[in-house]
Amino acid sequence: MKKPTLNRAGSTNRSYLYFILPGLVLYSVFVIIPILCSIYYSVFEWSGIGPMKFVGLKNFEYLLFGDRMSNVFFNALGNNFKYLACVLLIITPLQIFLAYMLFIKIRFSRYIRTMLFLPYVLSTSIVGFFALLVFDGNIGVMNYIIKNLLGNQYTQAWLGDTRLMFGLFVGIIFWQAMAAGMMIFYADMQSTSQDIIEASVVDGCGELRRFFSIILPNMRASMTTNLTLSVIFAMTMFGQAYVIFGPSGGVDNKLDFIAMVFYRYAFGGTYYGTTDIGFGSAISVAMLIIILALWFLTETIIKHVRE
Amino acid sequence: MKRTKHIQSSRRSRVVQDIISAVLILYSLITVFLVGDTVLSSFKTKSELIKNLIGFPQSPTLHNYATVFLEESFWRYILNSGLLVFTSLLFLLIVASMIAYGMAQYSFRGKGFLRGYLLLGLMMPVQLSILPLYLMMSKVNLTNNMWGLAIVYAANLSFSFVVFYRFFQEISVSIIESARIDGAHDLRIFGEIIIPISKPVFATIGLLQFIMIWNDFFLPMVFLTHKGSQTLTLAIYSYTDNFIKNWDKIFAAVTVALIPILIVYFLFSEQIISGLMAGSTKE
Repeated sequence: MKKPTLNRAGSTNRSYLYFILPGLVLYSVFVIIPILCSIYYSVFEWSGIGPMKFVGLKNFEYLLFGDRMSNVFFNALGNNFKYLACVLLIITPLQIFLAYMLFIKIRFSRYIRTMLFLPYVLSTSIVGFFALLVFDGNIGVMNYIIKNLLGNQYTQAWLGDTRLMFGLFVGIIFWQAMAAGMMIFYADMQSTSQDIIEASVVDGCGELRRFFSIILPNMRASMTTNLTLSVIFAMTMFGQAYVIFGPSGGVDNKLDFIAMVFYRYAFGGTYYGTTDIGFGSAISVAMLIIILALWFLTETIIKHVRE
Repeated sequence: MKRTKHIQSSRRSRVVQDIISAVLILYSLITVFLVGDTVLSSFKTKSELIKNLIGFPQSPTLHNYATVFLEESFWRYILNSGLLVFTSLLFLLIVASMIAYGMAQYSFRGKGFLRGYLLLGLMMPVQLSILPLYLMMSKVNLTNNMWGLAIVYAANLSFSFVVFYRFFQEISVSIIESARIDGAHDLRIFGEIIIPISKPVFATIGLLQFIMIWNDFFLPMVFLTHKGSQTLTLAIYSYTDNFIKNWDKIFAAVTVALIPILIVYFLFSEQIISGLMAGSTKE
């Protein structure tokens, strides 16, 4: 259905430009042009001042095959994918389950929803503080409790323990950010036709069957949204890992992510060698390519499932 | 929002559901504990913290708050954060609402393309634009400057655009056309008729972006490197960075940053949650 608009066809009214131009200029100058610049810079060797030297795909070659670089890059990329796998295999099913619990209005739903969502509005640095408060090896709450109940020998390094740190990190992110995806699923469940649900009740359909044969197949819209958001979130992971584990991802770089590698090379300056705008841009372009590829992949999979 | 009719359940599944409720309520106590312990511990001295990390303070003191505010000039970070949020929101709400209104109420060539162009911002990682943006801003001396960062926040208007656009599409053209017959200019119509009837959507977007900007970590970290221009989030980060040394002060600092957000959240949680949904679900 076409909606009537303020200027009919053939009219010469251009007053829409007053509305559109300020935003369009701002958005183009501060969002789009910098992106194009990054793509441009990625084929140069340039420190930010002085002459730019065209190097073709050398920056990407160094990123993928460079002596020390390729290890750092693939370790970080591996962590991004490991995290994405955790999101898809653990967090997403839990989000759907919890959304369904809210949908069927288990007792105290309102309270539960408000409390599950609360951490989402906290800043990265506060979440980082909470993580340290609980899991710090010297003065954290966990070790404090263990020490007082069981004795000193049972305390753990937690965030400094290579076997525990990734799992703890996923748990922390789950606590903070899970509810957004859950609410997207929940909103979608609410849009399921009431008639179908009532018919299933009349037919004596059980709780589980109702979920798998009526609710779940009708959730394509929220699946698409959440998959896309998860991919972007996982591939751009930065703040929480940076605050909790430091700029290079803690012990053995177990929680190093591409966005952190990018930050070290783009803004690290004196700590990590020279600042190289060209190479930094190449990392960010690589991020974009990976995100686009994954996005394309998820779109294809979703289309496939639909048919 | 539609109300779901109560679905009849068997007694057994009712029991299972109550167990799940109980588990989730227990889980929610993690959050209660973290917030509660932080607030309580902000009234303890460093020596008390070692013996009594998770209990009530035995001899409550405001010492940590005094240190944080008087010696570490926390008022400064609060002011910086507040001003940054205020100016960013002002720019963003004006610019995003106008472009969404222009797109929703007028038809012109290239509109579909423009819409796609504006949505690109939703998918692009911030890392992709930050380097050139930083170079650009430092060239015109807008780093370490609230105005520079506010402009960047206002330029990232994709999300707000989506929510405004949906809302403005629902407004009937006849309201605007009758004002036009009275000779009012389109911009005046927007300011005097549209904005007043759109207060709820302005409030929702303002709320969401308030949380987003108040909490943001990456952009301030890159743009605000001088101590004097830093935000509350960055100040707290610099404490966590040296956790043991700042152990006593950090509880007071976090409490100060936490309370405003919690008040806003508990007052407006329905609006915040449904606003976020409006921007992210596809039709």
